[in-house]
Amino acid sequence: MTDTPTGPTLEDRRRRMGYFLVAPAMLVLILVVLFPIIRSLIYSFQSVKPEGGRFRATWVWFDNYRFMGSDPAVRRALRNTIFFTVGEVVLVIGIALTVALLLNHPFGRFGAFRIILLIPWAIAPVANAVLWEWILNGSYGVLNAVLLRLGLISEYKIWLGDAGLALRMVLLADVWKSVPFIALLLLAGLQNIPNYLYRAARLDGATLWQRFRFVTLPGLRTPLTLAVILQTIWAIKVFDLIYVLTKGGPGDRTLMANFLAYRVTFNYLDFGYGAALANAIFLAMLVLSLIYIKVLKPGAPRSRQQT
Amino acid sequence: MNEGTRRRIHLLLRDGAIIAGLGIFLIWTLAPIAWMILTSLLPHRALITRPPDIDPALFTLKNINGVLEDRAVLVDSFINSAIVACATTALALTLGSLAAYAIARLSVPGGNKLMLMVLATQMFPGIVLIIPLFILLSRAHLIDTHIGLVIVYLSFVLPVVMWILKGFFESIPVQLERAAMVDGATTMQTFRLVVLPMSLPPLFAAGVFAFIESWNEFFYAVILTRTEVKTVPIRISEFSGQYRTAYGEMIAAAMIASIPVIIMAIVFRKYILLGFSEGAVKG
Amino acid sequence: MTRIELIDIVKTFGGVNACDGVDLLIEEREFVTLLGPSGCGKSTTLNLIAGLDDVTSGTILMNGKRVNELSPYQRDVAMVFQQYALYPHMTVAENIGFTLRLRKRPKSEIRERVQRVAELLELTALLDRLPRELSGGQQQRVAIGRAVIREPGVFLFDEPFSNLDAALRIRMRSEVRQLHDRLGVTSVFVTHDQEEAMSISDRIAVMRLGKVEQFGTPEEIYSTPVSKYVAQFVGSPRMNILDGELLRSGKQTDFRFGPIVIPLGAQAATIGAIDGNRIELGIRSEHVRIGDSGLPAMVRFVQPIGPETHVTVGWNDTAQTLIARVPGIVRLQPGAQVDVVLDPASMLFFDPETGNRIAGA
Repeated sequence: MTDTPTGPTLEDRRRRMGYFLVAPAMLVLILVVLFPIIRSLIYSFQSVKPEGGRFRATWVWFDNYRFMGSDPAVRRALRNTIFFTVGEVVLVIGIALTVALLLNHPFGRFGAFRIILLIPWAIAPVANAVLWEWILNGSYGVLNAVLLRLGLISEYKIWLGDAGLALRMVLLADVWKSVPFIALLLLAGLQNIPNYLYRAARLDGATLWQRFRFVTLPGLRTPLTLAVILQTIWAIKVFDLIYVLTKGGPGDRTLMANFLAYRVTFNYLDFGYGAALANAIFLAMLVLSLIYIKVLKPGAPRSRQQT
Repeated sequence: MNEGTRRRIHLLLRDGAIIAGLGIFLIWTLAPIAWMILTSLLPHRALITRPPDIDPALFTLKNINGVLEDRAVLVDSFINSAIVACATTALALTLGSLAAYAIARLSVPGGNKLMLMVLATQMFPGIVLIIPLFILLSRAHLIDTHIGLVIVYLSFVLPVVMWILKGFFESIPVQLERAAMVDGATTMQTFRLVVLPMSLPPLFAAGVFAFIESWNEFFYAVILTRTEVKTVPIRISEFSGQYRTAYGEMIAAAMIASIPVIIMAIVFRKYILLGFSEGAVKG
Repeated sequence: MTRIELIDIVKTFGGVNACDGVDLLIEEREFVTLLGPSGCGKSTTLNLIAGLDDVTSGTILMNGKRVNELSPYQRDVAMVFQQYALYPHMTVAENIGFTLRLRKRPKSEIRERVQRVAELLELTALLDRLPRELSGGQQQRVAIGRAVIREPGVFLFDEPFSNLDAALRIRMRSEVRQLHDRLGVTSVFVTHDQEEAMSISDRIAVMRLGKVEQFGTPEEIYSTPVSKYVAQFVGSPRMNILDGELLRSGKQTDFRFGPIVIPLGAQAATIGAIDGNRIELGIRSEHVRIGDSGLPAMVRFVQPIGPETHVTVGWNDTAQTLIARVPGIVRLQPGAQVDVVLDPASMLFFDPETGNRIAGA
């Protein structure tokens, strides 16, 4: 005498509740994310120019994207962005890993160190920019003073006005601010590696470097992958620094993709082209993230035991 | 030199290297901050000397006072940032926790894909969304309002909150919720009386992150506001333009503007660090 | 005091049938145990009875009424989980009283009833403590208290003592049985520990691969198991099984394994197998005696347990062995020659293909 269930089952009731609870958040996200993205995508296929107080949109299909290929500013921005991003990711991860290792060592176990790390992270990016603008000041900046005293330069340099050095200086400012977050992330990852793995490796006769390579690095795979992805995204997204420090100058030497899109949109008022640039940036980030995930293959997230 | 001595020297060098490393870390991290504080305390003429004349005897409060004279404007921006940040945090935690619970526990289909999409929203440079958002807000007459900014901020705060909380909710033993069901609790009662009270640490962590991100945000703020809702980052940027060569005051302004967030980060560091460790484990 | 009927219950998880046609009738006030190894479906069945999961097909009746669509609370069941089920942010008193709070009972009533339950379970001293401050045994007592205060029609227990140490387990299980007797509530208990099942149940349902293999009193399960699976699951040490063949010549029936031939008694006539058929003989260790005259065998292994000694005997030319339970501590050396006597009245015979019992006992 078998019976198919009649009426809503427990599963059904719970799922219905689930829909109800997800709805508000999803509504907000659809409104402020999904809708604008779609609109932005549409703009990228249009030419949107101001005309007598209003905006006129005409369909130009792939013209905007095609123009990107020949726009010298795009080429410049691409070069700068790649240089900046690679440099930032390498430097930040390298330094942050070192810091994390230092703080994981018994000598570094003080809470004070962690508090110190939090300060650069908590400072608003704009404030950071203002600070570094001052440090890098061509006439009175402290960097000049220190380097001169150490004999590394012969006279005060205008760091942010120097065609060759400007981008590197912006990189320095952003690296300084970005290290803490990644360091804290990696530190948490380090603390999750159980001690007995190190002990076992020691018993097996592993040297310090070998222990690092075979215990530490594999154990850090998940947080490291996350760190690389996040830092890449943030490097490409950098805006506040450029806006305050250089506005893309001197002569487009610090022009980054993100800032170019801003400039095209708000200074040149070419909304269609700006949208195309912005979407291209997003696409690049998406592709990069997917590549990272495929290549770095983070481990499945651990979850506590459930019956 | 025998084996034992060589080993001891080796270890000593290792310890020395670590201490040196820690020292370098301290200098690297604290130097800019120290310089910020010093700049705020030094008079203008000391700052325009080459090299800057760092003489404690010269310390003055003139810079800080100068900024505080303008304080109405500064305080006004603090209030604006506070309103926006608090509202964003409160909304994000409310909506986000409900959604995260639904995805974690209530068999909402495509839960995982949903989370990935939600994470993808973190990748959008503001420039992608800004024009449509601007048009949206101006049509709704929400430009230069707190609400307008809050809604826009939710776009990047809500996903992070959902991500943090979903991971945590999934790690709560199912038996607890089952026990509540057997005791007669509805889904909402289980959420309110059992799950939430257990989730205070990650809620705090998510809240702190949300608050700080909202407070420090510049791009949307500068474009979507005019005169009424100037937040702290906007003011800092303005000071930089306004004080052009009054370096002491400019830096003092940036420092004063940053203090609330720094204090908040230090006070709530336990939760911030907890947020990091959850993230490191669950990616 | 609920009567529970499970009719052809099937529960599928992603293509696998955790419950594959479970039929069970639990009478009012009975103490029934679902016994089996992990994966046999016992916990799944319990969750279905509770209403924590939906059946894929089948009907669940309580007191004759269909309850498939009812929530656990509506079914009037209370449950004690294996672990992690005490609300960690609430005190013991709040944990126990939670269900009453949900029903919006007045505070005075809650306090009074919690007090009574605490007295019943000797928890009064712990009422203001948090779960993490309690020992494992205390935590489970609180969990039981949370179930008792419901005054439900059914108690459900999901391996509640698996995480406790041995001595505590034995004490807790007898407390649960006494509680059941006192309150007269139908109880369904899940465990993989056969000793636990045997010691406290009115009836045991031995489960295997999603089905009930045998449902009977402990005595029935022990002495007249329906299959080799059931026979070997209960009883420690495991029932001896000898793999051999039946030899009939005229009126005499013998059992041969390896080079050994054991003459069988009168009950051999009931065995349906024919001459030359493979057959398995099962006999419990307490029915294998080491005596003065009988089947010659050689001692292989001696394990003094304390009150008795487990002696493993074997023979040349065959790898099969028998374990005998001998009272007291016996000083036998491996290699010694002894005589074993198998009690014919206690022999069970199993079909080697199906595992079912053919005859015997």
